[in-house]
Amino acid sequence: MQISVKSFTHPKGYVPLTFLIFLLILPLFLPTYFLHIAITMLFFAFVSEAWNIIGGYAGQLSLGNAAFFGLGAYGAVLLTHYYNIPPWIGGIVIGGAAAVVLSLITGLVCFRLRSHYFAISTLAIGEVMRLVFLNQRQITFGAEGITIPYKGNSILYLQFLSKAPYYYIALALMLLGMYITWKIGKSRLGHYLVAINQNQDAAEVVGVNSARAKQIALSVSAFLTAVGGTFYAQYIYFIDPDFVFGLGLSIEFALIAIVGGVGTVMGPVIGSFLLRPAMESTNALLGATYMGVHLIVYGGLLIAVVMFKPEGLVGWVGGLYERFLELLPRKEN
Amino acid sequence: MLDATVLTQAIVSGILMGAIYSLVSLGLVIIFGVVRIVNFAHGEFLMIGMYATYFLWARAGIDPLIAVFITAPLLFLIGAGIYKSLLRRVAAAPDFSKIFLTVGISLVLQNIALLIFTANYWSVKTSYERMVLSLWGISISYPRLIGFLGAVILSFLISLLLLKTDLGKAMRAVAQNREVAMLMGINPDRVYVIAVGLGAAVAGMTGAIIMPYFYVFPLVGVNFVVTCFAVAITGGLGNIKGTLLCGPIFGIAESLGVLFIGADSGMIVAFLILILVLIFRPSGLLGEGRL
Repeated sequence: MQISVKSFTHPKGYVPLTFLIFLLILPLFLPTYFLHIAITMLFFAFVSEAWNIIGGYAGQLSLGNAAFFGLGAYGAVLLTHYYNIPPWIGGIVIGGAAAVVLSLITGLVCFRLRSHYFAISTLAIGEVMRLVFLNQRQITFGAEGITIPYKGNSILYLQFLSKAPYYYIALALMLLGMYITWKIGKSRLGHYLVAINQNQDAAEVVGVNSARAKQIALSVSAFLTAVGGTFYAQYIYFIDPDFVFGLGLSIEFALIAIVGGVGTVMGPVIGSFLLRPAMESTNALLGATYMGVHLIVYGGLLIAVVMFKPEGLVGWVGGLYERFLELLPRKEN
Repeated sequence: MLDATVLTQAIVSGILMGAIYSLVSLGLVIIFGVVRIVNFAHGEFLMIGMYATYFLWARAGIDPLIAVFITAPLLFLIGAGIYKSLLRRVAAAPDFSKIFLTVGISLVLQNIALLIFTANYWSVKTSYERMVLSLWGISISYPRLIGFLGAVILSFLISLLLLKTDLGKAMRAVAQNREVAMLMGINPDRVYVIAVGLGAAVAGMTGAIIMPYFYVFPLVGVNFVVTCFAVAITGGLGNIKGTLLCGPIFGIAESLGVLFIGADSGMIVAFLILILVLIFRPSGLLGEGRL
């Protein structure tokens, strides 16, 4: 990608730049509640981007990514709770390492399996982690969950009194996730993954080490998901096994990417930017009177996308975007 | 502390529960075997069967065991309707479309139930609910015993249907080779409708026979379906014998897990069995089948 002054005189250059600047100044005028929605949008775009590496590019439908998420979350909270270790180390380094180790075990067990078998065996691994953390009450506090020890405003402990710092961290995470996905997509590994996704046997015949490629993809995905878990714990201040290790969360990572468009850099972002506000607003408007109505909307959208736009909304949104760019002024060279 | 009676009691309870797992998984396996769709909404079929049983009892005083004859056709229609309106359209789509279509259906059904029936737990009362059978120091409650016998009988009848009747043979033919089945004059689309309907009907019947000793609530299906996926995969997806064998294995594993590890974590043992089986026999204990 070449960046020059000229590229900012073309809509293709200045529109994303304007949007990025808009995202950067958003916390200055957004009310707290909407800022919260914005944070969940950025955050879910990030964790769904992480899922997309293994689920989208490699086409291995992991339904156990919550296991990695939970390790990042519990690593951060428990190590701060017991040893005062900051979440940077406890969550991102140690929790992330634990997630990578679990991804190696998962790979060993599950990569020989295809399709449905893979999906359900990853689901089982997620469930085992959830049950272990539920069961080890003396350490994890079991089903009642655990609150983060309060440290006040502290970058070291990733705790902030206002929402704006969380917003910027979530934004940075999303951009990081997009960058890594983009980088992988362009790399040799990315091409291997796409080949495996299309036809694993054919890819192996031409010399792709499919087990290795899938393992790298899963480990990267696991590490990023654990980072997401750490962020979640620090932002919400409370975690419990049923949520952070839950099947619902694993499904949500995948669902966002699928609605947006699997195997694309923008898919998870589009999915999250459409679904999260839709879900939050139906919940806020109708959730009090009609319990669960936001999940009906969610499920309905998923059904509609899978049936009518199985490649996700990315193509459609991309088309609208192109048409929008056509309308903007440009300096031809 | 741990004597033979406690252990035997746990194993017996496990077998009683395991027969139910087998039956629910059987529905899952029929749908997968014929239509090649892993139905994530299967637990919701069970849930609908349980709610239907509850209302038949609460409003019309119908005993859950008689409700079987109503929930079966009801769920058959729901299953067939879902196939005709939704699943049929993704027949040629990649696996992830199929999986997530049923995930979407499951989310919608769960939350419609939440909307209509609230999150409360409901149960039925029967004349036999407090009766207990005691044998050699082991006690078995009547509802569980009846549920177990019902599951065994239904599993037997369904296996018979698949193996001996023309309809069952047509289903297996389509499962094994669609093109050849068509040449033999079988209409595969009709068979698909019947297979999904039948799979759902099995879940509906299970919902009725377990209602005397279970609570119904909108998410009741979730716990069941995860276990039944594990049962179906361990037995070999699409393999009827494997499924019937693995239900009790998982039931026993769960109750031993509850005994040795803790009440909320019994399933750890069951999932570890699944993972071990997949390491050594990637297509299940008895191999993947086509019914």
